[in-house]
Amino acid sequence: MVANSASPNGLIGRHAVSPGGSSTSVQPVLEVQHIEKVYGARGNVMRALDDVSFTVQRGEFVAIMGPSGSGKSTLLNCVSTIDTVTSGSVLINGADVTKIKHDKLTRFRREQLGFIFQDSNLLDTLTARENIALPLTIARVPAKEVLTRVEAVAKRLSIAETLDKYPYQMSGGQQQRVAAARALVTNPAVIMADEPTGALDSKNARLLLESLETMNQRDQATVLMVTHDSFAASYTNRVLFIRDGRIFTELRRGDSPRRAFFDRIMEVVAMMGGEGSDAL
Amino acid sequence: MLCKLAWGNVRRAGKDYLVYLLTLTLAVTVFYAFNTISVQASIVLQEEGLPELLGSIMSGLTMFLALVMGFLMVYANGFIMKRRKKEFGLYQVLGMSRGQVSRVMALETAIVSGAALVLGIVLGVGFSQLMTFFTASLFKTQIADFHFFFSMKAFGITVGCLLAIFMVTLLFNLGVVRRAKVIDLMSAGRKNEAVKTRNPILSAVIFIMGAGLIGWAYYRLLRDGLPVDAAPSEYDEALQQFMVTTGIVIAGTILFFFGFSGFLLKVLQSARGMYWRGLNMFTMRQLAAKVNTVSFSMAVIAMILFLAITSVTGGMSIANVMNTSVERNTPADYTRILMYYGPDVVNDPEQVAAYEAEGYPPMKLAEKPVDILQASENNVVDPEKADEERFDLARIIGEHVQVDVYDSHPAGAGDPVVTLNQIADAVDMPLPAGTASSNVTLLGLQVMGESDYNRYLDFRGKPRVDLGKDGYLLTSDMGETVNAIYDAALAQGVPIKLAGRTLAPVADRVDDTASSFANASMGSNSGTIIVPDAVIDDLDLPLYSSYLLANYKLGLSYDETEGYVRRDRSWGNVLNADGTQSGLWGMEMTRSQSYESTNSMNGLISYLAIYIGFVLVVACAAILTIQQLSGVADSSKNYRILSELGTSKREITRSVLAQQAVFFIFPLVMGIAHSMVALQVVIEIIKLFGGLSIGFTVGFTCAIFLLCYGGYFLVTYLMSRGIVTDAIRTRQTA
Repeated sequence: MVANSASPNGLIGRHAVSPGGSSTSVQPVLEVQHIEKVYGARGNVMRALDDVSFTVQRGEFVAIMGPSGSGKSTLLNCVSTIDTVTSGSVLINGADVTKIKHDKLTRFRREQLGFIFQDSNLLDTLTARENIALPLTIARVPAKEVLTRVEAVAKRLSIAETLDKYPYQMSGGQQQRVAAARALVTNPAVIMADEPTGALDSKNARLLLESLETMNQRDQATVLMVTHDSFAASYTNRVLFIRDGRIFTELRRGDSPRRAFFDRIMEVVAMMGGEGSDAL
Repeated sequence: MLCKLAWGNVRRAGKDYLVYLLTLTLAVTVFYAFNTISVQASIVLQEEGLPELLGSIMSGLTMFLALVMGFLMVYANGFIMKRRKKEFGLYQVLGMSRGQVSRVMALETAIVSGAALVLGIVLGVGFSQLMTFFTASLFKTQIADFHFFFSMKAFGITVGCLLAIFMVTLLFNLGVVRRAKVIDLMSAGRKNEAVKTRNPILSAVIFIMGAGLIGWAYYRLLRDGLPVDAAPSEYDEALQQFMVTTGIVIAGTILFFFGFSGFLLKVLQSARGMYWRGLNMFTMRQLAAKVNTVSFSMAVIAMILFLAITSVTGGMSIANVMNTSVERNTPADYTRILMYYGPDVVNDPEQVAAYEAEGYPPMKLAEKPVDILQASENNVVDPEKADEERFDLARIIGEHVQVDVYDSHPAGAGDPVVTLNQIADAVDMPLPAGTASSNVTLLGLQVMGESDYNRYLDFRGKPRVDLGKDGYLLTSDMGETVNAIYDAALAQGVPIKLAGRTLAPVADRVDDTASSFANASMGSNSGTIIVPDAVIDDLDLPLYSSYLLANYKLGLSYDETEGYVRRDRSWGNVLNADGTQSGLWGMEMTRSQSYESTNSMNGLISYLAIYIGFVLVVACAAILTIQQLSGVADSSKNYRILSELGTSKREITRSVLAQQAVFFIFPLVMGIAHSMVALQVVIEIIKLFGGLSIGFTVGFTCAIFLLCYGGYFLVTYLMSRGIVTDAIRTRQTA
């Protein structure tokens, strides 16, 4: 398992290992090493993740793409400590989350991770301001600081005017941006976004992606986003393609404009589809 | 096939059905156990009649309480239905007809009801055996012949009630399925109802208005008292005012709970450090969101708890009073009263005509007291029998004494000479609650000569009194409120002017152990002044009543004495030698009769209070439980989000506990507050008949109620914790 010899995709192994392995100057925020996730009992085993390894550097905006059932959501859940891995390790800021005991995990999640889900998962009884403030109050940040930090992050994501509204009074796009603000407000090591644009129309999807881009560029937030939408993926720095529980390939945006990156992503998607997999 | 599906459903939805099953089982247990009361009473009591009376009161009450339970069950069931709409939609999508779906549901309800019936009857049978001992102690008797019993009648009533509840629930369920469209059923799981929020400032205003109204109602009740207190002419007005007060307190309670959460939210929000800390704001918002929908039921529960607490405490206090006063109020084995016609009757041609029209002998004012022992001989024992048997009281009694009492209302005078009002005025005390309604004439005291009273004291084995030439004494065996006035008069040496003399008291307090002239469960002598014999002669007072107090001859059996007195007997008239009549027979009572009636009343009141109280408390607690559980289930998504945001399970369950504590404790506190105020007024009335002591039984009963209520709270919390734990464990599978 630990041996990384028989990887069918030499390309992935090289990319995944080289940034963290060769240079020790910058410790990656996230290091995923050979994780496996197996469902079911003997005889009827379903391998959702099969020896997946990659690293994410601080300030990176990474997308994970793949067809449905490819294991991308499982991957995100395992990385974000919501689910457990069968084997392998996940290091966040050098700490192996697979080894953290359950009762400490809550605290770890609170301090190191931010979440954005497909449905915004806002608390319906709380206003936007209170929703954004919640991770801070849970962490017992003083009230005064809570309110100033909430105001600041709301202004950056242009949702200052919705702060006193309840979720049911907001549009889906506003809800998602409030959720993004909630994820960002604690300055987490990594923000995990699971299909954040999945339930949005194209205009609101673009607004949210621009918000994520802002968070990434201005606040140096590290964002890991699962999506099956090539357009959403084109906003990131790097795209990991996953299929049948394995990393299939990866694309780096480099300095290319978003439009060109989008075309390159589409090519890979077409190729994956051309091999007889599910259409994306 | 449908049966199998229904059985599977019940097992799977066991958690949801648990509350339903629990409450129904408890209802069956209580229904059965309390309806066996007539059987229990017949085991415990030799007396005829009372067990039947108890039985019929209980079964009547059960109907009413079954109605309450019926509504409760519909509510509980609605909770289950709400959670399973999607499932019923799925059945229809899969091709089951509505009729089939309805049948599955009916079967499910039947299974649960059947289980509740079996469990409840088993518990009820066991419980009723135990209750027999409790009944015995309530009725102050020993169990002569204990045997295991099963009452078909109680079983029948219980099954009847359960069937009625079942039918109502079923009709309600069928209505839900029939009305619902498949699309609605299928999308019922998706929650998109807007959380209704209210302007916090408006809420605060409503809350303050509610609190103000409650305070106002309290003030009005304490000021006005109960309407029974009012004079007859003002009774209607007083009743109206009482209704207004009741209306105010109901409105106040509803407004209070309506504005409650908003007010609390406002207050806490202003304390920033508190509000923006941990889950406090979440807890507050959850409360606010829920209070909006359940504020009305909180108010209803507060009122029901109020009713339960007041009826139990008030009822059992009355029973207690009777218990403490019966010993004091039974001076002899046997007492008989004769009431004389007053001059206002005899001198009123209209009344005389009315009496004579009813076949009474001609009326004549009594010139001298009637000898009761002699007059009793006119009674006929077993009047149906052919050969007349005269009532031979002299044969069975040993020591006896007759005392005669005069009306302090001299013939021809407008008002009584000595009245309670005068005495109360003299010592500057208000008239006690419950007497203000009586008119002045009725509040006149009776007068007894010193020699009669001394003979009475001899009979009771107490030292004689000496009034000298100008002394007086007051006697009364009423409750402490009346006696307090007499005590004050005696202690302050209030002079009384009679027949040209000024009398002064020779004791400084009423001896209420030497004040009862006849056997009674509660007080019978509301005030008799003892004066030197010469005063009565000088005043020319009309006779009021005569009392015969007698103890049975020693060595006679129960049957020979008590049995003889209790035999069927016609009392007949009290004739003078010239065929006229000067008075009528009053009450005849033996000591054991007054003990029995006290004990029976006592038992009856305690039973009713406990029964009503118990069912009401259970109903309230069950409603709260169901409401809370459905609330937690609805917000389980919120708890999952909290967990994902990194809140520990401990903090989440603490928030749940805080929310539920508010819902359980506030209606209780409100109910207790209402009761405290209401009991203030009720106690004033009870005090008229004797000292009030919140006895052990009241405390014990309240403890059981609290235990029951608290038990529901605990079950609610534990089940909620289960739901939350499940919700947290469920991974996001979008």
